[in-house]
Amino acid sequence: MGNKQTIFTAQHKYLKLFPRLFYRYRDLAPQLVPLDYTNQPDVKLPYELIGSMPELKDNPFRQRIAEVFSEDGEGNMTLDDFLDMFSVLSEMAPRDLKAYYAFKIYDFNNDDFICKSDLEKTLNKLTRNELTEDEVRMVCEKVIDEADLDNDGRLSLEDFQHMIVRAPDFLSTFHIRI
Amino acid sequence: MVFVTCKDTVTGRACCVVLCTTEEQNLVKELVGLSTRDRIRAIRGLSMSFKEKKHIRLVLSHYVSLIIKQYNTNNQVLIQWSCFKLFSQSFRRCGYSIKSARQTLKLWQSIMKEIGGRFGTSVLSYFVFLKWLLMFNIFSFLVNFGFITIPLLVYDPSPNIPPNVSFTGLEMLTGAGYFTYTIMYYGGYSNETLVGLVKYDMKLAYFFTIAVYMVLCGIALIFSMASSFKKNYVLADPTSNSAWQLLSSWDFSITNERAVRQRKNNLRVQIQESLSDKAQRQLLTLSEKLKHLGVYLGFWLLSTSLVVGCGVSIYYLYAANWSLLQEAETLLVPFVVSLMNLVVPLLYSLFNKFEHYSSHRRQIYALVVRNILLKMSILAVLCYYWMNVVAKKFSCWESVVGQALYRLVIVDFLFLMLGSFFGEFLSNVIGTRLIPRLGVPEFDVARNVLELIYAQSLAWIGIYFSPLLPAIQILKLFILFYLKKVSLTQNCQPPRRTARAAQMQTIFIALLFFPFFVGSLSIVAYTAWRLTPSEQCGPFRGLNSTFSVVGVWMDDLHEIPGSQWVIWIYENIIKSEIFYFLMTLIIIDTYIAIENKPFMNCG
Repeated sequence: MGNKQTIFTAQHKYLKLFPRLFYRYRDLAPQLVPLDYTNQPDVKLPYELIGSMPELKDNPFRQRIAEVFSEDGEGNMTLDDFLDMFSVLSEMAPRDLKAYYAFKIYDFNNDDFICKSDLEKTLNKLTRNELTEDEVRMVCEKVIDEADLDNDGRLSLEDFQHMIVRAPDFLSTFHIRI
Repeated sequence: MVFVTCKDTVTGRACCVVLCTTEEQNLVKELVGLSTRDRIRAIRGLSMSFKEKKHIRLVLSHYVSLIIKQYNTNNQVLIQWSCFKLFSQSFRRCGYSIKSARQTLKLWQSIMKEIGGRFGTSVLSYFVFLKWLLMFNIFSFLVNFGFITIPLLVYDPSPNIPPNVSFTGLEMLTGAGYFTYTIMYYGGYSNETLVGLVKYDMKLAYFFTIAVYMVLCGIALIFSMASSFKKNYVLADPTSNSAWQLLSSWDFSITNERAVRQRKNNLRVQIQESLSDKAQRQLLTLSEKLKHLGVYLGFWLLSTSLVVGCGVSIYYLYAANWSLLQEAETLLVPFVVSLMNLVVPLLYSLFNKFEHYSSHRRQIYALVVRNILLKMSILAVLCYYWMNVVAKKFSCWESVVGQALYRLVIVDFLFLMLGSFFGEFLSNVIGTRLIPRLGVPEFDVARNVLELIYAQSLAWIGIYFSPLLPAIQILKLFILFYLKKVSLTQNCQPPRRTARAAQMQTIFIALLFFPFFVGSLSIVAYTAWRLTPSEQCGPFRGLNSTFSVVGVWMDDLHEIPGSQWVIWIYENIIKSEIFYFLMTLIIIDTYIAIENKPFMNCG
């Protein structure tokens, strides 16, 4: 590696939103976020501010999203985390990257597998806890039956990706406009 | 270690990046083997500066995303690649603030965000499609106006109108009368070579502008279709739905609280339905299956006969009506055509309710195919009449055809507005006050998109006969956007079934291209190739066919030295049939190559 200074010319278009995103980040807490980042201030916005953004406040997964993209794993985001979050959730981010982060979002206990309890939590968030316990159990079992390819009773990243490959809408639904 | 600094022009922030050393690479290799929780803990415990830890973390995330993509090995080269990517990403962050000029060209960005937030991605796809068509028309108008109309206006600004014709208000609707002699139609263009700053041959300009525009449209459509297929390359239904429903159907772009609540409700209902379906799945008996098949075939026969009936009646109406050329009566045929386009699809939706389909998707496809058949047959009958009867009957027949198309476009617009009124406003009133069982209507994306496609194909056919028709189309699409947006927000509810938005987008583009664009292109090509241009008006008067303009130009070029290569290209390539065969092969090849390219992600 060493002194490589060649310019990488691939089209990472999902980073084009950078200036607008910076001003959105700053608008959340103008007194905390300086305009001048030359000294690389260590500014972290608490989860409450991030979760109150209009794009996120009604999303049932907003807490998990903030946790996944934040450095400390608790939802408090620096500017870089904020940019990463909206880059991955923009329409230009590639499918594999989105699948990777979606997997992490649904993996509530951070054990790199989506197990039955993760699925139950997901289902409850998506249906306002209105399904009966039996129904929840049946749906989760069905999902694991269908998607679990290596038969270990839980979904690994490969199983999840395999399922996403068969759902072409995923790219357009896993997308937040800002 | 190498430090690179650059300065971001917006924030003034200096981006400072460190490329990896071997120790860092080994560390990354170790960390990648741990689970996420352990990884976070391990990084926290490292004795490094905050900046270095952050660097390691970012390298790790790039590396992991590379592993999951295609390579399953824990590779030294990949770690170095991740480090390099991090460097390039920071570099680009600095430079990209300039590129944000593209933001200013985003028309209607906030409205689309609002619609997507309240109604979801599938309804939004209609508005995205409308905006895309608007861009096509803006491009077409600029090209036509710039290359054909402006030279003529500069040379001869006043139209030569006979003395007894004056402007009455009715021209806006019928396109005839005063407009016949203006630059609105083919007849208003001269066939001379304008001598000004340069020698500008109007014949060649007209021919090449339209030819190049159609070719560019075709290429743009092919590429959109290819990229759309590439993104959504799975067209088949997955065999079961629940895993998909649960994990990948939640629309993250919905931002309205009520919409979110409704979505959750719908999802719950769908899940409960699918659970109960499993519990009591009835097998249909043979007689029931036969009955369903019989009903299905019966309705197909009925729809086909409706289409044939419409076609025949339009033909005879046109034939009978042509003797009455008084202005108001020329509106009769477009009125009837648009009425059929409004009523018959509603009848098809009614048929749909009586038929029994195995899946929701098949229902939509059947409806779409029937509507396409209807619209294509109507267009085919009209074009047949224009090419065979009008072309032989009138002295300036291209202008006459142009006027007919103008009328069709205008009346179609009026009926689209009416359709919005009936389709959405009245349904809302009926659904909420009169028959509450029906409920608030949903926005019918498929029907609306087909109407847009039909309108666009009218514009494409009309380009040859009326070069300024795209201007009308631009106005029409612009007003339609706001109209549909208001109608949607006032009258409709978000869709109950989570429709497959991505596949619908692909299908819309494919529908636009294959039947409608290719059809319009063939008609224009047939006109240019086979039909004799009119003797008294237009840029191609006196020639045997429009295409012979190129032959005449080639003859002229013989005298100019240094242009031998152009003549060679013409003689050996354009005139030979092998060229077109090769072109078709190349297009198909490129298409397949784009589709099969391994999924090269930038991650």
